[in-house]
Amino acid sequence: MSAVLIRVAALWRKEALALLRDPHALAALFVMPAVFILIMSFALRDAFDPAALKPRSVLVQQDDSPAARTLVAALRRSVAGFDQARAVPLAEARRAVGRGEAAFAVVLQAGVGAAILGPEPGAAAGKVQILVDPTVAVVAQQAIRQQVGAVLGQVQAGEMSRRMQALMGVPLPVPMDAVALPAMQRADGRSQQPSAVQQSVPAWLIFGLFFVVIPLAPVFIAERQFGTLVRLRAMGASPGLLIAGKLPPFVLLNLLQACLMLAVGAWLVPALGGEALRLPGAGGLAALAMVSVAVSAAAIGWAFLVASIARTSEQATVIGGVGNILMAAIGGVMVPRFVMPAAMQPLTQVSPMAWALDAFHAVLLRDAPLADLALPMLALLGFGATCLTLAAWALRRSRVTA
Amino acid sequence: MMLAAEALGFRYPKAASAALDSVSLGVSGGEVMGLLGPNGAGKSTLIALLAGVIAPTSGRVKRDARLSTAGQVAWVPQDFAFYPMLTARENLAVFAGVLGLSGAACAARIERAIAYGQLATFVDRPARTLSGGMKRRLNLALALLGDPAVLLLDEPTAGVDPQSRAFLLDTVRALRNEGRAVIYTSHYMEEIEAVADRVAILDYGCVLAEGTLDAVCALAGTHARIAVGGPLPAPLAQDWQKHYALSAVGPQTWSLQLGAPEELAGVLEALKRHNVPLRSAQCGRATLEDVFLQLTQRALRDDA
Repeated sequence: MSAVLIRVAALWRKEALALLRDPHALAALFVMPAVFILIMSFALRDAFDPAALKPRSVLVQQDDSPAARTLVAALRRSVAGFDQARAVPLAEARRAVGRGEAAFAVVLQAGVGAAILGPEPGAAAGKVQILVDPTVAVVAQQAIRQQVGAVLGQVQAGEMSRRMQALMGVPLPVPMDAVALPAMQRADGRSQQPSAVQQSVPAWLIFGLFFVVIPLAPVFIAERQFGTLVRLRAMGASPGLLIAGKLPPFVLLNLLQACLMLAVGAWLVPALGGEALRLPGAGGLAALAMVSVAVSAAAIGWAFLVASIARTSEQATVIGGVGNILMAAIGGVMVPRFVMPAAMQPLTQVSPMAWALDAFHAVLLRDAPLADLALPMLALLGFGATCLTLAAWALRRSRVTA
Repeated sequence: MMLAAEALGFRYPKAASAALDSVSLGVSGGEVMGLLGPNGAGKSTLIALLAGVIAPTSGRVKRDARLSTAGQVAWVPQDFAFYPMLTARENLAVFAGVLGLSGAACAARIERAIAYGQLATFVDRPARTLSGGMKRRLNLALALLGDPAVLLLDEPTAGVDPQSRAFLLDTVRALRNEGRAVIYTSHYMEEIEAVADRVAILDYGCVLAEGTLDAVCALAGTHARIAVGGPLPAPLAQDWQKHYALSAVGPQTWSLQLGAPEELAGVLEALKRHNVPLRSAQCGRATLEDVFLQLTQRALRDDA
């Protein structure tokens, strides 16, 4: 083995031993993101699955005319969450919605059947009332209102057609008592929609990679404060050797984290009843590895910057931890970007975690070609290089020995 | 000289004055050079320059051709410069690896360093759990991994118990007897007197005196040390300051530089005349502390 390799291997061994002796760092690097992936994959499952959006509902039917019964049947067929709606008196419906036991109630007031058959176009809508739990998302409230309105219009049109058929003896081509919705599919033609696990795994994987600051910073600060770094220099270790002794172990550590998090999404989440992370093919896996290295470079650069400006390990833990949480909050890791208000969504791009998320999503959700990954990867590498440069500058400023 | 500073100067960025100003001194094999000075005198800066950790602003460090191999000039810093989460043996293995040692040679050097530092009983304990004295011994043992010809020891006994101090001083003497050159900084003069063959007194970045222990002590002539039972009257203190370079060395304990031992009688007479009770009086060749006080005009640890 060459002398240089012996020297680098000694430094790698030191980093490995230091990491293995730090259970808090291991927990932050491996356990925390894995737990987040598990929790968020299950917690957000319904947010990514329209079929799962079946709010509990009740029906108040104060009109039992044939037209009203047709309306109820159409509502049960077409409105999400209304197929099993119990028919209850108005007072009970108010109580159920008020207590949150039902997300909404549809009240068909007396005379709604006559209004459907009547000449006044808006009369029927005036006889239909929707009671809604205020904790239901505004978007969902609007969806319920539009679905009920569409069904009402469809039933009115059907009744009108039937009357025209009776008057003129012309057969109708299709029944018109149910709302038909257009199909929705992904732009790339796949039938499978992105699931919660496909959103959560990259998000929390990135979050975990940035926590490399927890093992890196304390060792580096100790080396700086207690003269170990200077002793290494006095023993003939060049800056290049020190960097070679520091960077590869942490890149390798980040890649191990990435593999573990992907495995959690691909195998552990489905084993617990969730949906499996769909891993790309061989080409996609290579792209994933490249993106992981780019994210690792950004995370390690950030960790070095924190280690160079913090005076103690405690300071580094606070600065690194809070910085990571802020970058995650802004970058769409904690709250998916599409949930944010439109005005806020462009702000996510100030966080390197958002660039990393874009790159991972491009690989995992769109099978994007490498050319599409170039920009976020270059941004991540640039961020890492900038942080390392700032760290070197900060270290030069603070380097005083005697 | 195995290692020598030649008109060495160094100024920290934005510092008002130079930390070292044209310092020249050196050390030969089989010799201990004691470097004495108060805090801030420039001792650690000089050691860092000699170790090659920082580059001088002016002057140069001259090294013997035999010192070109890594580890031949070994630096033992004031701080515990090792990894607290690793065991003593793991620390030794890491630093031996950094020196490029491997295989049987590496194992032999590690065992030798363990023996030198008498670390065997706690070598497999995490370094952070070791006592102050054990940590000092590990700090020294790490420097010995490269089988150095020159050792630069920067206050190696700071904060240790008397047993560990005695052990470290014995080790320094043993290293000297093996033909190694040692530069030993301290602001404990009794340590310097115990191990040094030659002494340099450094203050404000300048060498104030340099030579053998006897030669340096002779610079201050005869010294008297008196302990009194009350404050010195101002006129008497002013007179002694003028004639005997009076300086305080402790509570109501004073050092005076005499032209000859016979002058002590006049000093005692003056005390009696001013009704100042005498508790003890000593007179003889100046000690290293006397020389230091005379040269630096302040107590050794006053700004420690």
